[in-house]
Amino acid sequence: MIEIILLISAVLFIFALKLFGRPSTAHRANSFAMLAMALAVFSAFNFDFSKYDSAFYITIVVSGLLGVLISKRVQMTQMPELVGLFNGFGGGASGAIAYVELSNTSLPISDVFVAIFSMVIGIFTFSGSLIAVLKLRGKLNNFSTKLGNIFSVFLPTILIIPAVLEMDTFLNEFIILVALIAGVIRVAVIGGADMPVVIAFLNSLSGIAAMSAGFIVNSIILIVAGALVGASGIILTLLMCAAMNRTLLDVLKGGFGTTTTNNEYDKDPISTSPEDVAIQLSYAESVVIVPGYGMAVAQAQAAVKELTNTLKDKNIEVKFAIHPVAGRMPGHMNVLLAEVDIDYEDMFTLEDINSEFSSTDVVLVLGANDVVNPLARTDEESPIYGMPILDVDLAKQVVVLKRSMSPGYAGIANPLFINHNAKMLFADAKEGLENIIKSFELV
Amino acid sequence: MEATFLLTLLITFLASFIGYELISKIPQTLHTPLMSGSNAISGITLIAAILIYPEVGDSQILQIIVLIAIAFATLNIVGGFSVTGRILGMFKKND
Repeated sequence: MIEIILLISAVLFIFALKLFGRPSTAHRANSFAMLAMALAVFSAFNFDFSKYDSAFYITIVVSGLLGVLISKRVQMTQMPELVGLFNGFGGGASGAIAYVELSNTSLPISDVFVAIFSMVIGIFTFSGSLIAVLKLRGKLNNFSTKLGNIFSVFLPTILIIPAVLEMDTFLNEFIILVALIAGVIRVAVIGGADMPVVIAFLNSLSGIAAMSAGFIVNSIILIVAGALVGASGIILTLLMCAAMNRTLLDVLKGGFGTTTTNNEYDKDPISTSPEDVAIQLSYAESVVIVPGYGMAVAQAQAAVKELTNTLKDKNIEVKFAIHPVAGRMPGHMNVLLAEVDIDYEDMFTLEDINSEFSSTDVVLVLGANDVVNPLARTDEESPIYGMPILDVDLAKQVVVLKRSMSPGYAGIANPLFINHNAKMLFADAKEGLENIIKSFELV
Repeated sequence: MEATFLLTLLITFLASFIGYELISKIPQTLHTPLMSGSNAISGITLIAAILIYPEVGDSQILQIIVLIAIAFATLNIVGGFSVTGRILGMFKKND
């Protein structure tokens, strides 16, 4: 009987992943996955609920309620932090389970290795995710790469301490400590804009930790579900890396953008006003909006929606061009736009929209920088050379809504800002948009 | 559900392969809900905690550690699915 329940659960997990792949079916995917999870967890009890004491049930109920509470209260712009936090909890759970199994002296030697693996990956995911959350919250911005490098040398050195001291008690605790520190350091040295890769990578690791926990406790469903998560996380990781033309290793090394390159401009940008932008937009037939992390920081999505409505009322075509690594996690911009009811039919990927820029009247860049930097196409010396970018510089007119001329994550100047067809509207994304909308009433 | 080690490895490989194939064509719009949904699934490690809880014996410390694992995994599952539901709800209303 249990076997049949588990089989159904495994099949449901696979179907759930399949349904996640299309916008029209994705909402059903979640229900499938929830049902699969409920069946799997139910089967773990093996119809014997009396083996468990009240502490066990209280823990489940309280943490379940806490989970619901947190997830309902969080704002959509904080989604990357929340996903990172939950991810860390999953990894931490796998790590803790592996630790408990390692304390069991009768564990066969092959399982000991799997358990150590699961413990290291799980704990690393835990501490790495918590640091990722802090970084996403804007804490820890100035963690120097140098410190990271010192620790990278330091870590292997302290790893041989137990061997030298012939330490056999507290060995597991020692490994946990090392994995904790490794997670902290590894993620701390990686810059904020690389977080889409980090979050996806940690997501994959939490699946791998769960999968290896499945090997220790001999649970096929745990192995299957863990492997599914591990594989999907790896795909997102590689997609994000490809979107930046960098390897995973290069991203994990950290320190991107900290080298000082030439970020001076040889002429002043043309600055514009909300009134002029409103006039410019009202004469356009086609407008493409390029959202970036600046939109999320300013919580400008509602203003984006209002502007979109205003333009559409004037029969102006509005499209959204979304770079794969815009924002702080995969698909971040899409979620924020969906939150304010912007149709996903109007959101375009880089491949789909790049050929259209040359026939676009006005492109409005909203707090994005490196992903629209033409140096990625032209300057072989540039750190971002070869990265696929949105070719907004080819449009007839470009308006960049940005607070200052400060460089983006890559730390380099963006010649788009001084391009002959570009104007700068220096403002916070939300304020700037609201002023443009107000000016429309006067046009 | 017990199986020989080789068979288990085969299942692992097949599951990873299916996961890779199913996800590789997912549109960018769905990256966030996919990640948050698969993140919730990784909380399935709760099963391992349930399986070992009755077997930890008299050690209070180990029992507490398993309870912490249960709390973490439950948070991951319930919170993860709940937030995925919220995200997908926003896409649904667009239909």
